[in-house]
Amino acid sequence: MSNNNLLKTAEDLVKYGKSKGADQVQVSIGEGSSFTVECLNQSIENLTEAGSRSLSLKVILDNKVATASSSDLSPEALHQLTDNAIERAKLTSSDPFAGLPDNDAIQVDIDSLKLFDPKILELTPEHKIAMAKEVEAIAVKGKNVKSSNGSYYGTNIGRTIIANSNGFSGDYKHSVCYNGVGLQSGKGDKIYEDGWYESSLNVAGLMGTQEIAEKAIHVVTRMLNAKKIKTQVVPIVFEPKMTSMLLRFLSSCINGRSIYMKQSWLIDMIGKEIAGKDINITDDPTIVGAKGSRPFDGEGVPGKKMPIIENGILKNYILSTYSAKKLGMKSTGGASGSSNFYMAAGSHSQEEIIKSVDKGLLLTSTIGQGTVPTTGDISKGAYGIWIENGELTYPVSEVTFTGNLASMLKNISMIGNDLKFDRAVAGPTIKIDGMSISGL
Amino acid sequence: MAQENRRSFIKTVGVGMGAVATSGLWLNKLFANTVQPVGEGVFGFTKEDIQKLLGIALSKGGEFSELYFENKISSSVNMSEEIIKSSSESISLGVGIRVIKGDQTGYAYTNELTFDKIKHAALTAAAIASGPSKMSVANLNEIKPKVQTYDMVSPLTQARLQDKIKLLKEGYDAAKNADPKITKISASIADEIQRITIANSEGLLVSDVRPQARLRVTATAEKDSKLGTGSGNAGGRIGADFYMNVETPTEIGKKAAKEALALLEAENAPAGEFPVILSKDQSGVMIHEAVGHPLEADANRKKQSIMWDKMGTMVSSPLLTIYDDATIPNYRGSLNIDDEGTQVEKTMLIEKGKLVGFLNDKLSAKILNHKENGHGRRQSYKSPPIPRMNNTVLAPGDTPPEEMIASVKKGFYAVTYQGGMVNNAGDFTFSVNLGYLIENGKLTRPLRNATLIGSNVQILKRVDMVGNDMGFFLGTCGKAGQSVPVTAGTPSLRISKMTVGGV
Repeated sequence: MSNNNLLKTAEDLVKYGKSKGADQVQVSIGEGSSFTVECLNQSIENLTEAGSRSLSLKVILDNKVATASSSDLSPEALHQLTDNAIERAKLTSSDPFAGLPDNDAIQVDIDSLKLFDPKILELTPEHKIAMAKEVEAIAVKGKNVKSSNGSYYGTNIGRTIIANSNGFSGDYKHSVCYNGVGLQSGKGDKIYEDGWYESSLNVAGLMGTQEIAEKAIHVVTRMLNAKKIKTQVVPIVFEPKMTSMLLRFLSSCINGRSIYMKQSWLIDMIGKEIAGKDINITDDPTIVGAKGSRPFDGEGVPGKKMPIIENGILKNYILSTYSAKKLGMKSTGGASGSSNFYMAAGSHSQEEIIKSVDKGLLLTSTIGQGTVPTTGDISKGAYGIWIENGELTYPVSEVTFTGNLASMLKNISMIGNDLKFDRAVAGPTIKIDGMSISGL
Repeated sequence: MAQENRRSFIKTVGVGMGAVATSGLWLNKLFANTVQPVGEGVFGFTKEDIQKLLGIALSKGGEFSELYFENKISSSVNMSEEIIKSSSESISLGVGIRVIKGDQTGYAYTNELTFDKIKHAALTAAAIASGPSKMSVANLNEIKPKVQTYDMVSPLTQARLQDKIKLLKEGYDAAKNADPKITKISASIADEIQRITIANSEGLLVSDVRPQARLRVTATAEKDSKLGTGSGNAGGRIGADFYMNVETPTEIGKKAAKEALALLEAENAPAGEFPVILSKDQSGVMIHEAVGHPLEADANRKKQSIMWDKMGTMVSSPLLTIYDDATIPNYRGSLNIDDEGTQVEKTMLIEKGKLVGFLNDKLSAKILNHKENGHGRRQSYKSPPIPRMNNTVLAPGDTPPEEMIASVKKGFYAVTYQGGMVNNAGDFTFSVNLGYLIENGKLTRPLRNATLIGSNVQILKRVDMVGNDMGFFLGTCGKAGQSVPVTAGTPSLRISKMTVGGV
């Protein structure tokens, strides 16, 4: 089925739903094909290649909502699915806040976002297999690397199509390629595993195998012979990946649903100071070639660059059409959650930040869930490198760190200059004072 | 594709599941009045077609080929803020084709069930091998699973939407009426029917129809400006009458309210090493992480798990006997056959502290020269099967839980969890949502959000009391990007010393 036909499938189903009595209909279709090769010890372990499609439907009548989805896109199946949805909608309650977005006049130049790279289509399976093997071959040669946990290379290409009864109809293509390797270090019962993985929306932007392998070697071997440390309160330096983890937690706390369902510590906090004056956090779906970019969200609403925290003041929640109506606000194009959600860089190098610490921990990875949006509490298993007199000393494991976002955001005392948009939620190295570490 | 090699156990199930059949003609026929598989044809294909496709999959020199047909119909209804907000229905249909040569796997899938599309996928998967065809396909011999571990008398999928809404409201109202401090509630009821047929080049042809249901209530309590969120849920491969006879929506709603109210008063846990008691209710997460994952055969045949060379040795306190048993009726992780068509069984893992078994899928069993034991599972037709847990159980001991609490001067008592996580090194965490401080042999103050951390080789040896009670935790287990429903059960346990993450 060609792409135009899929757009027509969506538009036709909107019309069909209306003809069967729905007041409003939204149809979205995702189509994709993926290729993944996983290697272990220079031999292919798994090779998966496939294409698939699925359609999602929302119908609203008398402010009553029903949704459905199907991987069978035959007209008979879709008509039956729609008929069922309309019948089911009649059994739910009338919700005054239900409704599709008004058709926004904003036009996004989809091609300029560069979400799709046709060169990904030209990559041969042989090339992908070679890249997976190459990154592993380099990585296992690293000093103190015990063995490979496996390497992989993959590509996904896809198309997202949305049509609704308010006149919206749009689609865009997206692509991604990725390459990574997992390693083990140590021996006997004292082993450590970690790895490195990189992805890019375009072939040219993907980090080379040498650099990925070097990063993997670095992160796995620096943890050799880790020690447990005693329970204490110290500053923690968050590596960029760890800042990203904190920002993902923050983004779940400012999601509209968390707010109206009272599952967030940030209810009624718009306009209030929730972080230090030098903290700026932004959500921006329009960054060219970035992983969180999109011309519109899952309801067809375009987003724009939006401050989340500006000079320490909370400025915006991330809102879908529904959560916006619930809160008496306007959709931020956030029906699919945050887009590129990042903390602005500061002026310090990571080295300077580490130098500033008398006794503390460089946090390098975490294990466990341990985040509660309702209270802002966070508690996770921690791995890192102990800092003594501004110098990195020995690795640390089997400890936890505990904190609360409300105080952590106010205790960020240094911000790094090393922000990179290598993931949708990104931040620089930061130092947070007064963190509790539990160990011995 | 997962970047990290960590496995997690999350108590929350994401979006829920379906109801009325809507797909092609053959499906309408299948689901018209019954959820039992019908005898004729496999997802619209004849045995000859299947045989031919398995042969095409072997045409480039593969040693084993397999087709996994799956149709899943899921539905859910959600209630929050006093109203039924929406209902959903989801239909997924497709076939996955696997070809194995040595320890290499080729995999492809399609959700367009035509002979040509499947043939194309079979050739894609076949390319893992290169060379002339070596193996032929054995004649397909249709077998029936030997056990029936699901309640197929009245699956929730067949209940009317009105009746599901009634159950949902009962759970919602129970949370709401528990206390005026409960200010926001959401509840969902989700059910699914998964129908699978597996055919492989060894001649196996077997089908299974699996129900799954869950009712969940989440409640937020509010006092001054403090908030606490709790949840309750129950379900499994059950019939609709479960919610009348086994655990009622009222009990589920009350559980959610109780946790939310306790969290309202809860303080931060103390930090440091303490004796820890894991209460029976949800502490199955501990054996799931500390024992189950490290004993999955894939990580052991690859010598990646810390357990790979410990078979036959003492790996835990002699008080521990641990097994995985998919044949326990109606549990969330119960199965008649696994996702490779292998008969399930009770698999002993640790007997009085000694490691005696791994959780095998077909490939690992073959490479390790172990017996297959029914643990090859997959999230859907889009993923190849890998070794997984089903219902993992730590057998009860003889210490009354009160005696355990009374034995601790200062310690931590864990009640509910957000989940747990483990890596190959055996480092694991449980994220406790609600716990209590133990002071002088008594539970005193409620404590919130504490991470417990340990390494399995140490902690398993520090279990020094095993309760005479038993509890089961419904979970969704994540590994290598694939989620599957599981159950984990334990009695109350005392761990002599463990790090508690607090302030």
